[in-house]
Amino acid sequence: MKNQYKLRILNHFNHFNHFNHFNHFNHAYIAPLRVLLTLILVLVLTVPATAQSKLQQSAGGYHGELDFPWSWKRYYSYAEWTQMMKDVAKKYPDLAIVESIGKSQMGRDQFLITITNQKTGDHAQKPAMWVDGAIHGNEVNGVTCSLYLMWYLLTRYDYDKYVYDMVNKYTFYILPGLNVDANASYVEFPNTENNPREPYRPEDDDGDGLYDEDQTEDVDGDGELSTMYVVDPKGELKLSTDKRRFISIGDEPDYPGMRFRRFGSEGFDNDGDGLINEDDIGGPDPNRNYPYGWNLRDGNPYPMSEPVTRNAFNAMLARPNIFASFHYHNTGRLIMFSAPQAVPQPPGQQIQGQQGGYGQPRGTVQERLAEMRKTDKYAQLFDRRVAREFQHDLDVQTKIVSKGAYILKDYTPTFSGLSGQTQAASYNMLGAYSYLIELWGSPTTEADINNDNRVSDEEYMQWLDLDLTGDGWILPHQVKHPDLGEIWIGGSGKKHVGRTPPSRYIEQEADRQAHFVLYCVSQFPQVKVDDITLTPIGDGLFWADVTIKNEKTYPTASDRSKKLEKYPKDKLVLMTSDDVKILPLDGKLPFVDPTQGFRNAPKPGTGREIQLWLNGSDSQTYRYLIKKGGGKGWVEAVITSERGGKDSKRLTIDD
Amino acid sequence: MRHILIFTCSCALYLAGFSQKVPVSFDRFHGFNGTENYLKEVARAYPEITELKVIGESGMGRPLSVLIISNKKTGTALDRLIELRNPRSENVKNVPPMKNHQAKPGHWICGATHGNEYTGTEVCIYIIDKLVSGYGTDSEITALVDQNAFYICPMVNPDGVFNSVEKDFSQRGNTRLADDDKDGKVNEDGYDDLDGDGRIAWFRYKDSKGNYVQDEVDPRVMVRLGEKEKTDKIRWSMIREDRDNDGDGKRGEDGEQGFDLNRNYPEGWWNDEGYQGGTGDFPTSAPEVQAMAEFLVTHPNILMAQFFHTSGGFTYRPMGVTSDATMHPKDIAMYDLILGKKYAELMGDDMPKAWMYPDSIESYKAELKKTSKNKFAIVRGYEMPETWVVSYNEKEDKRYGFGLQSDWAYQQLGMFSVTTELFNYRKDLPEYTFTGDDAWIKFQRAAIKYQEKKAGGEWFREWKSFKHPDLGEGETGGWLPQFSGNAFPGEILEKICETHWQYEKYRAGLLPHVVVKLAKGKVIDNSGGDRLIEINATIENTGQFPTQVARGADLPGNRQDVAWLIGDRDKVTFIQGMANQKLGVLAGKMPVPGYPSGKSTAEVKWLVRVKGNVPLKVAASSQKGGTSILEVTVN
Repeated sequence: MKNQYKLRILNHFNHFNHFNHFNHFNHAYIAPLRVLLTLILVLVLTVPATAQSKLQQSAGGYHGELDFPWSWKRYYSYAEWTQMMKDVAKKYPDLAIVESIGKSQMGRDQFLITITNQKTGDHAQKPAMWVDGAIHGNEVNGVTCSLYLMWYLLTRYDYDKYVYDMVNKYTFYILPGLNVDANASYVEFPNTENNPREPYRPEDDDGDGLYDEDQTEDVDGDGELSTMYVVDPKGELKLSTDKRRFISIGDEPDYPGMRFRRFGSEGFDNDGDGLINEDDIGGPDPNRNYPYGWNLRDGNPYPMSEPVTRNAFNAMLARPNIFASFHYHNTGRLIMFSAPQAVPQPPGQQIQGQQGGYGQPRGTVQERLAEMRKTDKYAQLFDRRVAREFQHDLDVQTKIVSKGAYILKDYTPTFSGLSGQTQAASYNMLGAYSYLIELWGSPTTEADINNDNRVSDEEYMQWLDLDLTGDGWILPHQVKHPDLGEIWIGGSGKKHVGRTPPSRYIEQEADRQAHFVLYCVSQFPQVKVDDITLTPIGDGLFWADVTIKNEKTYPTASDRSKKLEKYPKDKLVLMTSDDVKILPLDGKLPFVDPTQGFRNAPKPGTGREIQLWLNGSDSQTYRYLIKKGGGKGWVEAVITSERGGKDSKRLTIDD
Repeated sequence: MRHILIFTCSCALYLAGFSQKVPVSFDRFHGFNGTENYLKEVARAYPEITELKVIGESGMGRPLSVLIISNKKTGTALDRLIELRNPRSENVKNVPPMKNHQAKPGHWICGATHGNEYTGTEVCIYIIDKLVSGYGTDSEITALVDQNAFYICPMVNPDGVFNSVEKDFSQRGNTRLADDDKDGKVNEDGYDDLDGDGRIAWFRYKDSKGNYVQDEVDPRVMVRLGEKEKTDKIRWSMIREDRDNDGDGKRGEDGEQGFDLNRNYPEGWWNDEGYQGGTGDFPTSAPEVQAMAEFLVTHPNILMAQFFHTSGGFTYRPMGVTSDATMHPKDIAMYDLILGKKYAELMGDDMPKAWMYPDSIESYKAELKKTSKNKFAIVRGYEMPETWVVSYNEKEDKRYGFGLQSDWAYQQLGMFSVTTELFNYRKDLPEYTFTGDDAWIKFQRAAIKYQEKKAGGEWFREWKSFKHPDLGEGETGGWLPQFSGNAFPGEILEKICETHWQYEKYRAGLLPHVVVKLAKGKVIDNSGGDRLIEINATIENTGQFPTQVARGADLPGNRQDVAWLIGDRDKVTFIQGMANQKLGVLAGKMPVPGYPSGKSTAEVKWLVRVKGNVPLKVAASSQKGGTSILEVTVN
């Protein structure tokens, strides 16, 4: 509040300075006045560092990017980015706190940053957004997206009103790296783009009695983990003409040249059993380790068995103010969210909810969606029947992911799975609106030339050559292998090409993701008292109609959190001056306005305090019967919500 | 005086060749401190066969202790035999070297999952005493400790035990810091010692709305009335010694009690609607449960498991969260017709005919079809006897509870797991048997007299006048909860301990033992300088039980039995047969009624080319049947 007033004063003085243009007005009294004004200006400007003193007037202006320089054209090691996290928090001590939420199997800390303006309220008292990245060790794109969001919020706070308001009002909990042991390994050591994925619980993958005894290794010491091929006269593969790839012999069964057989990822036969890489490092899939929908086959040995996942979920449990969450993965360009399926239904059915009922348009999901897409190519509609009690959540999510599809440009919203996944636990056990984002994917937009919406091998190589200027490919080359003899290694992408984006796309992915997260936060519920109108009935009696609303997309509580009874309902309280009484009304009898019918009828104001829920994009009117004694009185409506803030409005009653 | 006596006796016993180095007595409950001290002393006194391992911390920071009993010098873990080359440059040391005991069949025994069920703690201590004292003198016990690994955890819930024994709270769940009544304070209103006698018993007071009346035979005994029962007698209310500590009008609303640990396990924790059925925020959320889960999954050599509880005088075998339908019928046969049969014998119970004459089981099924209302019994061919039961409610076809530990150990880890409810008040008071609906009352009358003789009246406090600060005139007294519900210390407890020591000893004797019986090599070609050798090995499970439960090898984390041929990697080339070969699951020697005998032996072949005269070894590695090595004799 205070800072806003100061801003107004500042703007007021800026306006006042126009008078300086007119030199002939430079009379004697102006100079001391200007000194006085300057003094006041100086006093006003010596405010806490978090005042929005550097608000930019133009969208192309400086927004603080170099206040804490960070290169978004590379991946950092675990040691580097955790240090940078601590450094940036030190630079903005009123806005950020870094803490460890626990240690991984190998003893690395999982660092969480809490971002909010501590002076406008404690982080635990504000609705919060949770973001975590890289639960799969190799999917480090999630680390960069999380770090970017953190950096964006902190560096732009003083320069950008959108960020400023958000950081004052809400809390962000950001855990850039969840599976920190594997995150560290993936970036710093030779790895294929698919490993290490899991945390390091020893596992006997091949049932031979030994644990993790035969892992992938960099056989030729070139710093890359590629694929091994063996020369085989009966092999199905040959070298491409440009000698860069191993391709199928295809229509040439009598191909006379060198033929190859694919052996597998680079590695040695560590245990001498004749197999290579049959028991790599990595235990259970951490994204099957969460409790909701957990099953033994996928999530073994037991729910929350991995220190990294248990610490992360316990951290979420300890922060019941989390209202929504993002969980980053690679790859596929998907926005995935939960919607508990009530009854499995055949596709193409008429859908319920918003689109059902009297006077509503009919047709199958596909027909309705085609109609919507005529004017909005990002429109979404989902072919799923949910239980009535979860319909609003589906409607809300549909709206949110439609906007997400727009913000992210080339992502597809779809339903997510259960089976012990993080976002399933966030939604079903915590009631938070949660999103699993599969970042990055095939470079269709960049590489597809013939408009078939796919990337052929040739298109891919051109993309590598022209867009990545040849960076990111391992050429096939001969190597002597101690266990296999003469082999060939290569014909695959390096790290940070296929699964995680190469250098030039890192910032683009991160920037768009940050905007989607911020959009969701901007839609956190906000309760308001819209209007109070009084209708006199005579004898000092009045109808007082109080209209409250939540114009944001998210309701004050998700359907799921209502089922979990997570927090108390919204409360509407009508305060009155001493001479104004609220008369009792029966809550069961609705009001009927002959001109409007039941549809938008106000609800009876049954007493001083009413408990209710405001949905997303919702407006409700409560009609109270009040009696006023002599003189001027007043009524004041106060709406409070656990996650939706509060608002009040007072109306004085004239005679 | 007592010290001199103990010293003299110990010397005498030592000189007599008896190896009990740590004296133990069952005249009082050990409690948390007594148990911890005993474990530490045993580990100190028997360093060659014991190891005390702290597997975690309770909610209040108490150690969760497991005593490992196994001959440290026997057993060879497989990872010591196989050379690993060219490791990843990153050199992550995430796989700890295996211990000898992990290469032996394992047997888990624990007590006091519920804090006020410490009879099991005492039985664990008794079993430890028998194992370590008998080692070296009793040949059966020596063999058990040489060949197997015993993992004994007397207190799964040390916070609960401490509060129940050392503090008189009688706490079933764990302890946690929680503001149960949401008044901003944590654990501020528990029980109190109102009358200052150092113990927390009961307070009774006349109350027209009360639920208790005095027993007409012994007015010290309070009889609880049924829900709608009417009476002409004076009504009383009876509460634990307790007052309103925080002035909120309620007593004991925010004590230290956490939640029931035996509803926090991952089997059947969720209800059918997809909401929480068990306790805790998620399965294994309690530190006590997580520590046990972590220990059990990292010791997959365990095949037998016993979770001691109190009371009842019977043993539950799985399942409780579902019916028998989720168990493999062969496992049910092994449970009931082998393990259950022995238990019923030890307990002097009547046995179902089908157990005694399993060949006639079909006729018993036909009989039951006519007489039984229990569809599960009809499928089995027998009603369960008194002392060997399932916790699943077969009459009403509904689950017993959620998240049960024994169910989890069987279904997800593949252990022959049981839960024994120790102590049966109807039978365990010497020379008495109490029957009928008022058995508990009859027991109390006799028990009060018993403790007057045996414990100087320490266990039941005579009712004394007392004015309660909130409730007015009344009397403090009654059973010290420590002694009502658990087996009385002394002869009663010792008898229970002995019976269950015998049972667990029997079960340990059933553990599988996979042995390389034969490893012979025949040189079939010598001409090239190198020898071409054909190797034949016979691997045998010499134990009574198979190396896994029926579907055990398919469970994630479990595996089949495996045979390796080990020799110098630079000198041995495999021509036929991989270095390690899977053997399936080797059956045990003990026939399973109703099932054909399985194969307890496996033949394995290799064809190798060997440079020079290097030794060759065959190693049989069974996850739950131990590891065995034999040099190949070549001719």
